[in-house]
Amino acid sequence: MTTVFINASPKKKLGASEYLLKVQRLFVRAKKIKEKLMTKADHSRILEKLKDADSVVFSLPLYVDGIPSHVLEFMEKMELFCKEHGISLKVYAISNGGFIEGKQNKGVLDVFKNFCLRSGNEWGGGIGVGGGVMLHVMRLVLRLQIVLLLARVLYNGIFNDDWLPTKAINRFVVSVLVILFFNLGVFLFMHLLGRAITKGMAVKNKYTRIMIPSFIFIPIAATFFFVFSIIKGGIFKGWLRKK
Amino acid sequence: MRVIIHDLDKSYDELLKGKCDLTIMADGEYAPCQGCFDCWLKTPAKCKIKDKLVEVCRIVGKADEIVIVTRNFYGTYSPEIKNIIDRSIGISTTFSTYRKGQMHHVSRYGWHSLLMIVSYGEHSEEEKATFMHIAERNALNHSFKNTKNVFIASKDELLEVIA
Repeated sequence: MTTVFINASPKKKLGASEYLLKVQRLFVRAKKIKEKLMTKADHSRILEKLKDADSVVFSLPLYVDGIPSHVLEFMEKMELFCKEHGISLKVYAISNGGFIEGKQNKGVLDVFKNFCLRSGNEWGGGIGVGGGVMLHVMRLVLRLQIVLLLARVLYNGIFNDDWLPTKAINRFVVSVLVILFFNLGVFLFMHLLGRAITKGMAVKNKYTRIMIPSFIFIPIAATFFFVFSIIKGGIFKGWLRKK
Repeated sequence: MRVIIHDLDKSYDELLKGKCDLTIMADGEYAPCQGCFDCWLKTPAKCKIKDKLVEVCRIVGKADEIVIVTRNFYGTYSPEIKNIIDRSIGISTTFSTYRKGQMHHVSRYGWHSLLMIVSYGEHSEEEKATFMHIAERNALNHSFKNTKNVFIASKDELLEVIA
């Protein structure tokens, strides 16, 4: 079994789609090929990889309730390519949105299913993830915490001859557990989807989210945007006004 | 103001001009959205990509009625049309609110009256259902009071369905 994993985020690196695809790959036992779809220049390279594949997994961001335009362009090419070469793949998709409700990704998964019907491919199912951006930010926070923990261990070891700062380690373990909890839904459904991909089976679409109530999520998101609007300067340029 | 966004050629553009205040021809001669959020965070309602869509959200935002004419593309917009929609997210602000129990963005321009989508070409029943779902979601997200989907087999029927 060969599976092509396509990160279809237009961002060069550090996008939520990349993170979710990395997690999904962990749950698949097959020959895994990684691909990145950003522009038209990527089309022919990716299509060639599909020739010898059994399945393909798209990971993409939700753009205005649907699929980003650069991914739609690729799908049209893929339909023609599959028909021309008699290719029929199992297609899976992971869609992530900034809103907290995973269900808001339904349109994306439905369009992929329609695409499969038209292109002669087989829809294998997908996952809609809410709060994908925040899950991704959590990953970055975890990385920062690892660096800080190592710095603390080194500092305490060198200056206080204490190479096991229990308080700092405990705080780090708690942080890891909290982040794991936020990701529980993603891990569960990616485990199920991964099993289906490994076996070449189809599953029903699943919807999940970061494990935070929306009344907490929304103020956090607003604070995030507020801070970045100050840093980037938009807040001083008629941030909320009609233009 | 009524704006028609379409993915047809210049001859149709001329015909559609008589049906609205402004047309936007989706010819694909512009870059896709990069997801940078600068149209929220850095230059409100203005895209950082300096091509012909740089201020498209200011036009879409001020329209009371938007009519989108698109070829049916697996039950959604063609890539050329979707690109314009993606580049228009500055019509909302960064702030969020609840609508029908779900999280959505607050509009920068207030409520619009109608989002009408005319899709042409062959449609399966599944594609029609998907398109109606997407129209409803777009209206909720971008503050349109009403939506209308019209499915036509050929673009020749276009002028009959757009009053």
